[in-house]
Amino acid sequence: MAVNAAQSQGAGIEQALVACAGGDKNALRRIYDQECPRMIGVAQRMLKRRALAEEAVQDSFILIWRHAGRFDPQRGSGLTWIYAILRNRALSILRDERRMETDESPIAVEAASDEDDPETVMAKLSDAKALRGCLETLPAPRRGMVLLAFVQGLSHGEIAGKLGMPLGTVKSWIRRSLIALRECLG
Amino acid sequence: MTQEPDREIVAGEYVLGLLDGAEKEALERRMAGDAKLDAAVARWQARLAPIDATARPIEPSAGLWQRIEGGLDQAAARSPAVASHPALRVRLSQWWDSLWLWRGTALAGIAATLLLAFGLVAALDRARRQPVMVAVLLTETNVAAAVVNTFADGRVELLPLQDIAVPQGRALEIWTLWDRAAGPRSVGLIDRARAVPLRLDNLPLGADQLFEITVEPAAGSPTGRPTGPIVAKGLTARRL
Repeated sequence: MAVNAAQSQGAGIEQALVACAGGDKNALRRIYDQECPRMIGVAQRMLKRRALAEEAVQDSFILIWRHAGRFDPQRGSGLTWIYAILRNRALSILRDERRMETDESPIAVEAASDEDDPETVMAKLSDAKALRGCLETLPAPRRGMVLLAFVQGLSHGEIAGKLGMPLGTVKSWIRRSLIALRECLG
Repeated sequence: MTQEPDREIVAGEYVLGLLDGAEKEALERRMAGDAKLDAAVARWQARLAPIDATARPIEPSAGLWQRIEGGLDQAAARSPAVASHPALRVRLSQWWDSLWLWRGTALAGIAATLLLAFGLVAALDRARRQPVMVAVLLTETNVAAAVVNTFADGRVELLPLQDIAVPQGRALEIWTLWDRAAGPRSVGLIDRARAVPLRLDNLPLGADQLFEITVEPAAGSPTGRPTGPIVAKGLTARRL
């Protein structure tokens, strides 16, 4: 049931993207109604501040509108395409634009919510997903590094600092985790 | 030629957000011409997508949709397609054949010459004046890359102090930020490092105001905010 619902929502997104490419603003609004709250949630995990998370989502919808014609269903699903744009935008804000903030501390020093902790995210991953099973085959610290990067947008250096480990170790552990995940997920 | 395992790993690191600014840009350029790399990135995006589904939904604040809709119209206004409109082309060719047009142009030319002569005298006078405020824009390694001068008559100019590498198909966009809440505003776009007047129009201008240069697509940032890496930045300071 849940899988069917998710699939039909996904198909709706793809149709809406085609309509956006044809200049239909109502189609963009449909994507907004369906995905905006989750998108703010994803951006908030990376940017920590609500205002910045909404800024990332606002920019993403403008980019989705402008580039909808470039969406290629052969390459992946519409939802994945939209979230790739959002993640890219959030990372840019995280890595570049925080330097525009002359009077505020860097975002990375702000504490993440416990909800965004790697093991909490693991618990929320659907049992039905192969990804969960494959992440479980990794030792917890290695799994944690992958999730800190993807969920919170931390850099190699920030992960090393947070875990008190040498940068080189973090880099090679993440590489090995990627190799293991790829073999497990196919 | 990238080996299979390397390609998979770098694609995974990219999707995890672990590549730094230069590595990320280089990979995005490679993806455009390397279908295998692009497919590897797409596979990682699909593999990790379930993690995004674990994010707690947060209701958008009132007005977010209106701000997005406002941005859509701005985006449309940036790419006017009037030049290719056939009816317009016909009208343009009628103008071209009009005698009145050429008489008018000749008179306007004389008037413009006179205005330019007066303007030149005024400009020379202005050029002698000193800037009121100066911002030195430093790179990440604290090298002075450009200065922004502001003048009493409201003119603001950017003068580069060194060449800045601009990738193919990219441009340098100049931004100012006077209030975090209002966000950065674009005040100029140049294809390469060169002196340029900045359009501040009615934007506020004061001491300790941030100016910065970022690398953006050739037509300027698609979102109206900086999206590319920062080349240099600095704060305005008053001259003694």
